[in-house]
Amino acid sequence: MTKIYKESKAINDLSFEICKGELFVILGSSGSGKTTTLRLINRLIDPDEGAVYLNSNDTKTMDPVKLRRKIGYVIQQIGLFPHMTVKDNIGLIPRLEKWKEEDISNKVDELLTLVALPPDLFRYRYPNQLSGGQQQRVGLARALVMDPPLLLMDEPFGALDPLLRMQLQNEFLSIKRKLDKTIVFVTHDIEESFILADRIGVMHGGKMLQIGTPSELLFEPSNEIVSKIIGAENKFKAIRFLQAKDVMIPLDKSCLIESDISCKETINMMISHKIDSCIIKKSNSDIAQVSLIELLNEKDKAKSILAIGNKLNVFASNDTLSSIISLLKSSNESMAVIIDRGNVLGIVRINSVLMNLV
Amino acid sequence: MVALLPLLDAILQHLTLVFTSLAIGISLATPLAILSVFYKRVSYVVLTIINMAQSIPSFALVAIIVPLVGIGFVPGIVAIVLGSIVPIVKNMYVGLAKTDIALIDTGKGMGLTDLQIVRYVRLPLAYPAIFAGLKFSAVIANGIAVLTAIIGSGGLGRVIFEGLASFNINKTLSGAIPAILIALSLDMIFSIAEKKLKSKSVY
Repeated sequence: MTKIYKESKAINDLSFEICKGELFVILGSSGSGKTTTLRLINRLIDPDEGAVYLNSNDTKTMDPVKLRRKIGYVIQQIGLFPHMTVKDNIGLIPRLEKWKEEDISNKVDELLTLVALPPDLFRYRYPNQLSGGQQQRVGLARALVMDPPLLLMDEPFGALDPLLRMQLQNEFLSIKRKLDKTIVFVTHDIEESFILADRIGVMHGGKMLQIGTPSELLFEPSNEIVSKIIGAENKFKAIRFLQAKDVMIPLDKSCLIESDISCKETINMMISHKIDSCIIKKSNSDIAQVSLIELLNEKDKAKSILAIGNKLNVFASNDTLSSIISLLKSSNESMAVIIDRGNVLGIVRINSVLMNLV
Repeated sequence: MVALLPLLDAILQHLTLVFTSLAIGISLATPLAILSVFYKRVSYVVLTIINMAQSIPSFALVAIIVPLVGIGFVPGIVAIVLGSIVPIVKNMYVGLAKTDIALIDTGKGMGLTDLQIVRYVRLPLAYPAIFAGLKFSAVIANGIAVLTAIIGSGGLGRVIFEGLASFNINKTLSGAIPAILIALSLDMIFSIAEKKLKSKSVY
Protein backbone atom coordinates (compact mmCIF):
# COMPACT_ATOMS: atom_id res chain seq x y z
CA MET A 1 0.00 0.00 0.00
CA THR A 2 1.50 3.27 -1.07
CA LYS A 3 0.24 6.77 -0.60
CA ILE A 4 1.45 10.19 -1.59
CA TYR A 5 -0.59 13.01 -0.20
CA LYS A 6 -0.13 16.71 0.25
CA GLU A 7 -2.52 19.11 1.87
CA SER A 8 -1.33 21.97 4.06
CA LYS A 9 1.17 19.41 5.22
CA ALA A 10 -1.35 17.45 7.28
CA ILE A 11 0.15 14.54 5.44
CA ASN A 12 3.28 15.34 3.52
CA ASP A 13 4.58 13.07 0.77
CA LEU A 14 3.74 9.96 2.70
CA SER A 15 4.59 6.61 1.24
CA PHE A 16 4.84 3.31 3.01
CA GLU A 17 3.72 -0.29 2.83
CA ILE A 18 1.97 -2.46 5.33
CA CYS A 19 2.44 -6.20 5.05
CA LYS A 20 -0.35 -8.73 5.17
CA GLY A 21 -0.93 -10.17 8.62
CA GLU A 22 1.23 -7.75 10.54
CA LEU A 23 0.33 -5.41 13.36
CA PHE A 24 1.60 -2.08 12.17
CA VAL A 25 1.64 0.69 14.75
CA ILE A 26 1.66 4.31 13.65
CA LEU A 27 3.31 6.17 16.50
CA GLY A 28 3.31 9.93 16.79
CA SER A 29 2.27 12.85 18.95
CA SER A 30 -0.97 14.71 18.34
CA GLY A 31 -0.88 16.62 15.09
CA SER A 32 1.62 14.25 13.55
CA GLY A 33 -0.93 13.09 10.99
CA LYS A 34 -1.33 9.58 12.31
CA THR A 35 -5.13 9.65 12.57
CA THR A 36 -5.38 11.35 9.17
CA THR A 37 -3.30 8.53 7.73
CA LEU A 38 -5.61 5.95 9.24
CA ARG A 39 -8.72 7.68 7.89
CA LEU A 40 -7.19 7.80 4.43
CA ILE A 41 -7.09 4.02 4.42
CA ASN A 42 -10.86 3.51 4.74
CA ARG A 43 -11.58 6.65 2.72
CA LEU A 44 -13.14 8.65 5.52
CA ILE A 45 -10.94 11.25 3.85
CA ASP A 46 -9.59 11.16 0.34
CA PRO A 47 -6.04 12.25 -0.50
CA ASP A 48 -5.48 15.31 -2.66
CA GLU A 49 -2.60 13.58 -4.31
CA GLY A 50 -1.63 9.98 -4.52
CA ALA A 51 -3.61 6.90 -3.67
CA VAL A 52 -4.05 4.08 -1.22
CA TYR A 53 -3.67 0.60 -2.63
CA LEU A 54 -5.22 -2.47 -1.05
CA ASN A 55 -3.73 -5.65 -2.51
CA SER A 56 -2.56 -3.41 -5.38
CA ASN A 57 -6.10 -2.16 -6.11
CA ASP A 58 -6.55 1.61 -5.94
CA THR A 59 -9.17 2.28 -3.24
CA LYS A 60 -10.42 5.27 -5.23
CA THR A 61 -11.94 2.87 -7.72
CA MET A 62 -13.92 1.11 -4.98
CA ASP A 63 -17.29 2.08 -3.52
CA PRO A 64 -16.40 3.65 -0.14
CA VAL A 65 -19.31 1.99 1.68
CA LYS A 66 -18.43 -1.48 0.38
CA LEU A 67 -14.76 -0.83 1.14
CA ARG A 68 -15.49 0.18 4.73
CA ARG A 69 -17.61 -2.89 5.36
CA LYS A 70 -14.50 -4.94 4.63
CA ILE A 71 -12.33 -2.88 6.98
CA GLY A 72 -12.89 -3.00 10.72
CA TYR A 73 -12.74 0.39 12.42
CA VAL A 74 -12.31 1.07 16.15
CA ILE A 75 -11.82 4.52 17.65
CA GLN A 76 -10.97 5.85 21.08
CA GLN A 77 -14.47 7.21 21.74
CA ILE A 78 -15.73 3.70 20.87
CA GLY A 79 -18.91 5.15 19.35
CA LEU A 80 -21.36 2.44 20.40
CA PHE A 81 -24.88 3.50 19.44
CA PRO A 82 -26.50 4.28 22.81
CA HIS A 83 -30.03 3.45 21.66
CA MET A 84 -29.12 -0.05 20.52
CA THR A 85 -28.39 -3.17 22.55
CA VAL A 86 -24.98 -4.81 22.33
CA LYS A 87 -26.46 -7.32 19.89
CA ASP A 88 -27.99 -4.64 17.67
CA ASN A 89 -24.76 -2.65 17.70
CA ILE A 90 -22.77 -5.64 16.52
CA GLY A 91 -25.47 -6.93 14.19
CA LEU A 92 -26.34 -3.69 12.40
CA ILE A 93 -24.19 -4.15 9.31
CA PRO A 94 -24.99 -7.88 8.95
CA ARG A 95 -28.67 -6.93 9.09
CA LEU A 96 -28.21 -4.33 6.37
CA GLU A 97 -26.38 -7.00 4.41
CA LYS A 98 -29.53 -9.12 4.83
CA TRP A 99 -28.03 -11.94 6.86
CA LYS A 100 -30.45 -14.47 8.33
CA GLU A 101 -31.55 -13.62 11.87
CA GLU A 102 -30.11 -16.90 13.12
CA ASP A 103 -26.72 -16.24 11.53
CA ILE A 104 -26.60 -12.80 13.12
CA SER A 105 -27.34 -14.24 16.58
CA ASN A 106 -24.67 -16.90 16.18
CA LYS A 107 -22.07 -14.40 14.97
CA VAL A 108 -22.85 -11.99 17.81
CA ASP A 109 -22.49 -14.75 20.40
CA GLU A 110 -19.27 -15.99 18.81
CA LEU A 111 -17.73 -12.51 18.85
CA LEU A 112 -18.85 -11.74 22.41
CA THR A 113 -17.21 -14.97 23.53
CA LEU A 114 -14.05 -14.01 21.66
CA VAL A 115 -13.80 -10.68 23.51
CA ALA A 116 -14.48 -12.39 26.85
CA LEU A 117 -18.02 -11.12 27.42
CA PRO A 118 -20.43 -13.99 28.21
CA PRO A 119 -23.18 -13.60 25.56
CA ASP A 120 -26.01 -14.52 27.94
CA LEU A 121 -25.08 -11.66 30.24
CA PHE A 122 -24.27 -9.02 27.68
CA ARG A 123 -26.33 -9.63 24.54
CA TYR A 124 -29.26 -7.41 25.48
CA ARG A 125 -27.47 -4.76 27.50
CA TYR A 126 -27.29 -1.15 26.41
CA PRO A 127 -23.93 0.61 26.13
CA ASN A 128 -24.58 2.77 29.21
CA GLN A 129 -24.87 -0.43 31.26
CA LEU A 130 -21.29 -1.40 30.40
CA SER A 131 -17.97 -0.32 31.87
CA GLY A 132 -15.42 1.46 29.68
CA GLY A 133 -13.44 -1.72 29.14
CA GLN A 134 -16.55 -3.72 28.27
CA GLN A 135 -17.65 -1.02 25.84
CA GLN A 136 -14.31 -1.15 24.04
CA ARG A 137 -14.58 -4.94 23.83
CA VAL A 138 -17.99 -4.59 22.21
CA GLY A 139 -16.47 -1.98 19.90
CA LEU A 140 -13.85 -4.51 18.86
CA ALA A 141 -16.47 -7.23 18.38
CA ARG A 142 -18.50 -4.86 16.20
CA ALA A 143 -15.47 -4.09 14.06
CA LEU A 144 -14.87 -7.80 13.53
CA VAL A 145 -18.42 -8.75 12.57
CA MET A 146 -17.91 -8.76 8.79
CA ASP A 147 -14.70 -10.72 9.31
CA PRO A 148 -12.63 -7.99 7.68
CA PRO A 149 -9.08 -8.87 6.60
CA LEU A 150 -7.95 -5.41 7.71
CA LEU A 151 -8.58 -3.72 11.03
CA LEU A 152 -7.97 -0.02 11.73
CA MET A 153 -7.67 1.06 15.36
CA ASP A 154 -7.31 4.66 16.46
CA GLU A 155 -6.03 4.80 20.05
CA PRO A 156 -8.64 2.26 21.13
CA PHE A 157 -7.27 1.98 24.66
CA GLY A 158 -6.45 5.67 25.05
CA ALA A 159 -9.36 6.54 27.31
CA LEU A 160 -8.94 3.64 29.72
CA ASP A 161 -7.11 3.71 33.03
CA PRO A 162 -3.55 2.32 32.91
CA LEU A 163 -4.31 -0.98 34.63
CA LEU A 164 -7.28 -1.76 32.40
CA ARG A 165 -5.32 -0.62 29.36
CA MET A 166 -2.58 -3.14 30.09
CA GLN A 167 -5.14 -5.93 30.56
CA LEU A 168 -6.90 -5.08 27.30
CA GLN A 169 -3.61 -4.85 25.43
CA ASN A 170 -2.74 -8.37 26.54
CA GLU A 171 -6.20 -9.68 25.70
CA PHE A 172 -6.00 -7.94 22.36
CA LEU A 173 -2.68 -9.62 21.61
CA SER A 174 -4.13 -13.06 22.28
CA ILE A 175 -7.23 -12.25 20.19
CA LYS A 176 -4.94 -11.04 17.44
CA ARG A 177 -3.07 -14.34 17.41
CA LYS A 178 -6.37 -16.19 16.96
CA LEU A 179 -7.53 -13.97 14.10
CA ASP A 180 -4.68 -13.60 11.63
CA LYS A 181 -5.61 -10.13 10.44
CA THR A 182 -3.69 -7.16 9.19
CA ILE A 183 -4.00 -4.45 11.82
CA VAL A 184 -3.08 -0.78 11.60
CA PHE A 185 -2.97 0.65 15.09
CA VAL A 186 -2.56 4.35 15.86
CA THR A 187 -1.20 5.46 19.22
CA HIS A 188 0.90 8.13 20.90
CA ASP A 189 1.85 5.73 23.69
CA ILE A 190 5.37 4.37 23.17
CA GLU A 191 4.92 1.53 25.67
CA GLU A 192 1.77 0.44 23.91
CA SER A 193 3.48 0.47 20.54
CA PHE A 194 6.36 -1.63 21.86
CA ILE A 195 4.04 -4.17 23.44
CA LEU A 196 1.81 -4.62 20.42
CA ALA A 197 3.75 -3.87 17.28
CA ASP A 198 5.33 -6.14 14.74
CA ARG A 199 6.59 -2.97 13.10
CA ILE A 200 6.29 0.66 14.13
CA GLY A 201 6.12 3.65 11.84
CA VAL A 202 7.13 6.88 13.58
CA MET A 203 5.27 9.92 12.26
CA HIS A 204 6.04 13.56 12.83
CA GLY A 205 4.76 16.64 11.05
CA GLY A 206 2.87 14.62 8.47
CA LYS A 207 5.90 12.58 7.50
CA MET A 208 6.88 9.01 8.17
CA LEU A 209 10.32 9.37 9.78
CA GLN A 210 11.25 5.75 10.21
CA ILE A 211 9.69 2.32 10.02
CA GLY A 212 11.12 -0.62 11.89
CA THR A 213 10.75 -3.20 14.61
CA PRO A 214 10.76 -1.87 18.18
CA SER A 215 14.40 -2.83 18.68
CA GLU A 216 15.49 -1.31 15.37
CA LEU A 217 13.93 1.98 16.38
CA LEU A 218 15.42 1.78 19.84
CA PHE A 219 18.93 0.81 18.83
CA GLU A 220 19.22 2.42 15.42
CA PRO A 221 17.01 5.55 15.37
CA SER A 222 17.53 7.24 12.02
CA ASN A 223 17.58 10.75 13.45
CA GLU A 224 17.23 12.94 16.54
CA ILE A 225 13.46 13.25 16.36
CA VAL A 226 12.88 9.51 16.18
CA SER A 227 15.28 8.99 19.02
CA LYS A 228 13.42 11.59 21.06
CA ILE A 229 9.95 10.18 20.29
CA ILE A 230 11.05 6.63 21.03
CA GLY A 231 12.93 7.69 24.14
CA ALA A 232 16.09 6.02 22.91
CA GLU A 233 18.21 7.87 25.47
CA ASN A 234 16.50 5.86 28.14
CA LYS A 235 16.66 2.35 26.80
CA PHE A 236 16.52 0.77 30.24
CA LYS A 237 12.82 1.51 30.33
CA ALA A 238 12.52 -0.78 27.38
CA ILE A 239 13.60 -3.96 29.16
CA ARG A 240 9.92 -4.56 29.93
CA PHE A 241 8.99 -4.65 26.24
CA LEU A 242 12.12 -5.83 24.51
CA GLN A 243 11.95 -9.51 23.73
CA ALA A 244 14.64 -12.11 23.56
CA LYS A 245 14.70 -11.95 19.77
CA ASP A 246 15.44 -8.21 19.91
CA VAL A 247 18.61 -8.51 21.97
CA MET A 248 19.99 -11.93 21.14
CA ILE A 249 23.17 -12.55 19.24
CA PRO A 250 22.22 -14.75 16.28
CA LEU A 251 23.93 -18.10 16.43
CA ASP A 252 26.33 -19.08 13.69
CA LYS A 253 25.30 -22.55 12.52
CA SER A 254 28.90 -23.75 12.78
CA CYS A 255 28.78 -23.16 16.53
CA LEU A 256 25.83 -25.49 16.98
CA ILE A 257 26.27 -29.20 17.56
CA GLU A 258 23.17 -31.34 17.32
CA SER A 259 24.61 -34.78 16.59
CA ASP A 260 26.22 -37.36 18.79
CA ILE A 261 29.93 -36.88 18.10
CA SER A 262 32.96 -37.36 20.33
CA CYS A 263 34.94 -34.69 22.12
CA LYS A 264 37.84 -35.22 19.78
CA GLU A 265 35.74 -34.63 16.69
CA THR A 266 34.30 -31.54 18.29
CA ILE A 267 37.75 -30.17 19.04
CA ASN A 268 38.84 -30.70 15.45
CA MET A 269 35.72 -29.03 14.18
CA MET A 270 36.12 -26.05 16.46
CA ILE A 271 39.71 -25.56 15.50
CA SER A 272 38.93 -25.77 11.81
CA HIS A 273 36.09 -23.25 12.20
CA LYS A 274 38.24 -21.06 14.45
CA ILE A 275 35.69 -20.92 17.24
CA ASP A 276 36.43 -21.28 20.92
CA SER A 277 32.98 -21.99 22.26
CA CYS A 278 30.00 -23.94 21.01
CA ILE A 279 26.42 -24.77 21.83
CA ILE A 280 25.35 -28.37 22.22
CA LYS A 281 21.71 -29.19 21.63
CA LYS A 282 20.90 -32.39 23.47
CA SER A 283 17.13 -32.01 23.29
CA ASN A 284 14.66 -29.16 22.85
CA SER A 285 14.94 -28.21 26.49
CA ASP A 286 18.42 -29.42 27.32
CA ILE A 287 20.98 -27.16 25.73
CA ALA A 288 24.54 -26.70 26.94
CA GLN A 289 27.59 -24.68 26.16
CA VAL A 290 31.21 -25.80 26.15
CA SER A 291 34.45 -23.98 25.49
CA LEU A 292 37.49 -25.28 23.61
CA ILE A 293 39.63 -25.08 26.73
CA GLU A 294 37.20 -27.20 28.68
CA LEU A 295 37.22 -29.78 25.92
CA LEU A 296 40.99 -29.82 25.74
CA ASN A 297 41.11 -30.40 29.49
CA GLU A 298 38.71 -33.30 29.19
CA LYS A 299 40.63 -36.50 29.86
CA ASP A 300 38.42 -38.95 27.98
CA LYS A 301 38.53 -37.50 24.47
CA ALA A 302 36.37 -40.33 23.11
CA LYS A 303 33.49 -39.38 25.36
CA SER A 304 30.27 -38.31 23.62
CA ILE A 305 29.87 -34.57 23.42
CA LEU A 306 26.30 -35.02 24.66
CA ALA A 307 27.61 -36.07 28.05
CA ILE A 308 29.43 -32.86 28.87
CA GLY A 309 28.90 -29.09 28.83
CA ASN A 310 27.35 -26.47 31.10
CA LYS A 311 23.58 -26.47 30.94
CA LEU A 312 22.09 -23.16 29.80
CA ASN A 313 18.83 -21.46 30.59
CA VAL A 314 16.44 -21.72 27.64
CA PHE A 315 14.04 -18.94 26.65
CA ALA A 316 11.49 -18.51 23.90
CA SER A 317 12.04 -15.77 21.34
CA ASN A 318 9.13 -13.71 22.69
CA ASP A 319 10.14 -13.84 26.35
CA THR A 320 10.79 -10.37 27.66
CA LEU A 321 14.25 -9.13 28.47
CA SER A 322 13.26 -8.34 32.04
CA SER A 323 12.18 -11.94 32.68
CA ILE A 324 15.43 -13.25 31.18
CA ILE A 325 17.56 -10.92 33.28
CA SER A 326 15.79 -11.75 36.52
CA LEU A 327 16.06 -15.49 35.91
CA LEU A 328 19.73 -15.25 35.00
CA LYS A 329 20.30 -13.20 38.10
CA SER A 330 18.63 -15.74 40.37
CA SER A 331 20.57 -18.63 38.79
CA ASN A 332 23.75 -16.58 38.86
CA GLU A 333 24.56 -17.05 35.20
CA SER A 334 25.45 -14.65 32.44
CA MET A 335 24.23 -16.43 29.35
CA ALA A 336 21.02 -17.90 27.99
CA VAL A 337 19.97 -19.55 24.78
CA ILE A 338 16.92 -18.62 22.72
CA ILE A 339 14.99 -21.30 20.90
CA ASP A 340 11.90 -21.14 18.76
CA ARG A 341 10.00 -24.30 17.82
CA GLY A 342 13.01 -26.46 18.53
CA ASN A 343 15.47 -24.33 16.56
CA VAL A 344 18.30 -22.64 18.39
CA LEU A 345 18.15 -19.03 17.21
CA GLY A 346 20.81 -17.31 19.24
CA ILE A 347 22.21 -16.53 22.62
CA VAL A 348 21.73 -13.68 25.05
CA ARG A 349 24.74 -12.49 27.01
CA ILE A 350 24.10 -10.12 29.86
CA ASN A 351 27.23 -8.16 29.05
CA SER A 352 26.32 -7.49 25.46
CA VAL A 353 22.73 -6.65 26.43
CA LEU A 354 23.98 -4.06 28.89
CA MET A 355 26.35 -2.62 26.31
CA ASN A 356 23.40 -2.24 23.95
CA LEU A 357 21.20 -0.53 26.50
CA VAL A 358 23.74 2.00 27.72
CA MET B 1 -78.22 25.66 25.84
CA VAL B 2 -75.94 24.73 23.04
CA ALA B 3 -76.90 22.22 20.45
CA LEU B 4 -74.74 19.16 20.93
CA LEU B 5 -74.52 18.04 17.31
CA PRO B 6 -73.17 21.31 15.83
CA LEU B 7 -70.64 21.40 18.68
CA LEU B 8 -69.40 17.90 17.92
CA ASP B 9 -69.19 18.94 14.31
CA ALA B 10 -67.08 21.97 15.28
CA ILE B 11 -64.77 19.84 17.44
CA LEU B 12 -64.28 17.40 14.57
CA GLN B 13 -63.59 20.24 12.17
CA HIS B 14 -61.13 21.74 14.64
CA LEU B 15 -59.24 18.48 15.08
CA THR B 16 -59.12 18.07 11.31
CA LEU B 17 -57.59 21.53 11.00
CA VAL B 18 -54.96 20.82 13.65
CA PHE B 19 -53.93 17.34 12.56
CA THR B 20 -53.98 18.03 8.83
CA SER B 21 -51.74 21.02 9.42
CA LEU B 22 -49.40 18.98 11.64
CA ALA B 23 -49.21 16.20 9.06
CA ILE B 24 -48.40 18.70 6.32
CA GLY B 25 -45.94 20.42 8.67
CA ILE B 26 -44.10 17.16 9.44
CA SER B 27 -43.91 16.13 5.80
CA LEU B 28 -42.52 19.52 4.82
CA ALA B 29 -40.17 19.77 7.79
CA THR B 30 -38.55 16.35 7.47
CA PRO B 31 -36.89 16.83 4.07
CA LEU B 32 -35.98 20.42 4.96
CA ALA B 33 -34.33 19.30 8.20
CA ILE B 34 -32.47 16.39 6.59
CA LEU B 35 -31.25 18.56 3.70
CA SER B 36 -30.15 21.19 6.20
CA VAL B 37 -28.03 18.59 8.01
CA PHE B 38 -26.06 17.80 4.86
CA TYR B 39 -25.96 21.16 3.06
CA LYS B 40 -24.77 24.23 4.95
CA ARG B 41 -26.37 26.59 2.45
CA VAL B 42 -29.80 24.99 2.79
CA SER B 43 -29.55 25.09 6.56
CA TYR B 44 -28.64 28.78 6.41
CA VAL B 45 -31.63 29.69 4.21
CA VAL B 46 -34.05 27.48 6.14
CA LEU B 47 -32.98 28.72 9.55
CA THR B 48 -33.10 32.39 8.47
CA ILE B 49 -36.61 32.11 7.05
CA ILE B 50 -37.77 30.12 10.05
CA ASN B 51 -36.43 32.60 12.56
CA MET B 52 -38.22 35.37 10.70
CA ALA B 53 -41.46 33.41 10.51
CA GLN B 54 -41.32 32.77 14.23
CA SER B 55 -41.45 36.47 14.98
CA ILE B 56 -44.70 37.10 13.05
CA PRO B 57 -47.67 37.40 15.43
CA SER B 58 -50.19 34.62 14.75
CA PHE B 59 -53.06 37.02 14.26
CA ALA B 60 -51.08 39.03 11.67
CA LEU B 61 -50.20 35.79 9.91
CA VAL B 62 -53.87 34.85 9.64
CA ALA B 63 -54.64 38.33 8.29
CA ILE B 64 -51.88 38.18 5.65
CA ILE B 65 -53.20 34.87 4.33
CA VAL B 66 -56.47 36.43 3.12
CA PRO B 67 -55.06 38.61 0.29
CA LEU B 68 -52.65 35.82 -0.65
CA VAL B 69 -54.79 32.70 -0.56
CA GLY B 70 -58.30 33.88 0.20
CA ILE B 71 -60.68 32.64 2.85
CA GLY B 72 -62.05 29.26 3.88
CA PHE B 73 -60.77 25.89 5.09
CA VAL B 74 -57.64 25.65 2.88
CA PRO B 75 -56.36 29.17 3.65
CA GLY B 76 -56.92 28.25 7.31
CA ILE B 77 -54.68 25.20 6.90
CA VAL B 78 -52.04 27.32 5.16
CA ALA B 79 -52.02 29.78 8.04
CA ILE B 80 -51.75 27.04 10.66
CA VAL B 81 -48.93 25.25 8.81
CA LEU B 82 -46.96 28.46 8.39
CA GLY B 83 -47.47 29.41 12.00
CA SER B 84 -46.69 26.04 13.55
CA ILE B 85 -44.00 24.51 11.34
CA VAL B 86 -41.15 26.44 12.96
CA PRO B 87 -40.59 24.30 16.07
CA ILE B 88 -40.85 21.10 14.04
CA VAL B 89 -38.13 22.10 11.56
CA LYS B 90 -35.94 23.73 14.14
CA ASN B 91 -36.01 20.90 16.66
CA MET B 92 -35.71 18.26 13.98
CA TYR B 93 -32.70 20.03 12.47
CA VAL B 94 -31.00 20.56 15.80
CA GLY B 95 -31.75 16.99 16.89
CA LEU B 96 -30.37 15.50 13.67
CA ALA B 97 -27.39 17.81 13.37
CA LYS B 98 -26.14 17.63 16.94
CA THR B 99 -25.50 13.89 17.00
CA ASP B 100 -22.23 12.99 18.71
CA ILE B 101 -19.48 13.21 16.07
CA ALA B 102 -17.90 9.99 17.31
CA LEU B 103 -21.12 8.11 16.47
CA ILE B 104 -21.25 9.56 12.97
CA ASP B 105 -17.59 8.72 12.53
CA THR B 106 -17.93 5.09 13.60
CA GLY B 107 -21.15 4.78 11.63
CA LYS B 108 -19.38 5.92 8.50
CA GLY B 109 -16.30 3.91 9.33
CA MET B 110 -18.27 0.68 9.68
CA GLY B 111 -19.86 1.24 6.28
CA LEU B 112 -23.19 2.98 6.77
CA THR B 113 -24.35 5.33 4.01
CA ASP B 114 -25.31 8.90 4.93
CA LEU B 115 -28.99 8.02 4.75
CA GLN B 116 -28.51 4.87 6.82
CA ILE B 117 -26.80 7.03 9.43
CA VAL B 118 -29.86 9.28 9.47
CA ARG B 119 -32.19 6.30 9.70
CA TYR B 120 -30.35 4.22 12.29
CA VAL B 121 -28.33 6.75 14.27
CA ARG B 122 -29.33 10.39 13.88
CA LEU B 123 -33.11 9.95 13.81
CA PRO B 124 -33.60 7.64 16.81
CA LEU B 125 -31.25 9.78 18.88
CA ALA B 126 -33.15 12.91 17.85
CA TYR B 127 -36.56 11.57 18.97
CA PRO B 128 -36.63 13.54 22.24
CA ALA B 129 -35.86 16.81 20.45
CA ILE B 130 -38.25 16.04 17.59
CA PHE B 131 -41.12 15.19 19.88
CA ALA B 132 -40.53 18.24 22.04
CA GLY B 133 -40.85 20.26 18.83
CA LEU B 134 -43.98 18.37 17.78
CA LYS B 135 -45.69 18.99 21.11
CA PHE B 136 -44.90 22.68 21.00
CA SER B 137 -46.00 22.89 17.37
CA ALA B 138 -49.28 21.10 18.15
CA VAL B 139 -50.10 23.62 20.88
CA ILE B 140 -49.41 26.51 18.51
CA ALA B 141 -51.45 24.85 15.75
CA ASN B 142 -54.37 24.48 18.15
CA GLY B 143 -54.09 28.18 19.03
CA ILE B 144 -53.99 29.37 15.44
CA ALA B 145 -56.81 26.98 14.51
CA VAL B 146 -59.05 28.99 16.88
CA LEU B 147 -57.99 32.24 15.19
CA THR B 148 -58.48 31.03 11.62
CA ALA B 149 -62.22 30.81 12.26
CA ILE B 150 -62.15 34.49 11.48
CA ILE B 151 -61.17 33.74 7.88
CA GLY B 152 -63.78 31.05 7.58
CA SER B 153 -61.92 27.85 8.39
CA GLY B 154 -64.61 26.73 10.80
CA GLY B 155 -63.80 24.77 13.95
CA LEU B 156 -64.11 25.69 17.61
CA GLY B 157 -63.00 29.25 16.91
CA ARG B 158 -66.27 29.87 15.13
CA VAL B 159 -68.26 28.76 18.15
CA ILE B 160 -66.19 31.04 20.37
CA PHE B 161 -66.48 34.06 18.06
CA GLU B 162 -70.24 33.55 17.67
CA GLY B 163 -70.61 33.23 21.42
CA LEU B 164 -68.61 36.40 21.99
CA ALA B 165 -70.53 38.32 19.32
CA SER B 166 -73.90 37.37 20.78
CA PHE B 167 -72.83 37.75 24.43
CA ASN B 168 -73.69 34.09 24.89
CA ILE B 169 -71.38 32.96 27.73
CA ASN B 170 -72.53 29.33 27.45
CA LYS B 171 -71.75 29.20 23.76
CA THR B 172 -68.40 30.92 24.25
CA LEU B 173 -67.41 28.42 26.92
CA SER B 174 -68.67 25.46 24.89
CA GLY B 175 -66.12 26.48 22.27
CA ALA B 176 -63.33 27.51 24.60
CA ILE B 177 -63.35 24.54 26.99
CA PRO B 178 -62.97 21.84 24.27
CA ALA B 179 -60.18 23.94 22.72
CA ILE B 180 -58.36 23.95 26.06
CA LEU B 181 -58.95 20.22 26.56
CA ILE B 182 -57.61 19.53 23.07
CA ALA B 183 -54.48 21.53 23.84
CA LEU B 184 -53.88 19.49 26.99
CA SER B 185 -54.50 16.13 25.34
CA LEU B 186 -52.25 16.90 22.35
CA ASP B 187 -49.25 16.88 24.66
CA MET B 188 -50.34 13.54 26.05
CA ILE B 189 -50.93 12.02 22.62
CA PHE B 190 -47.42 12.86 21.46
CA SER B 191 -45.85 11.62 24.70
CA ILE B 192 -47.55 8.26 24.19
CA ALA B 193 -46.49 8.16 20.52
CA GLU B 194 -42.89 8.87 21.50
CA LYS B 195 -42.87 6.06 24.05
CA LYS B 196 -44.35 3.64 21.51
CA LEU B 197 -41.71 4.56 18.95
CA LYS B 198 -38.84 4.24 21.41
CA SER B 199 -39.86 0.82 22.64
CA LYS B 200 -39.93 -0.42 19.06
CA SER B 201 -36.72 -2.05 17.87
CA VAL B 202 -34.56 0.28 15.84
CA TYR B 203 -34.67 -1.97 12.81
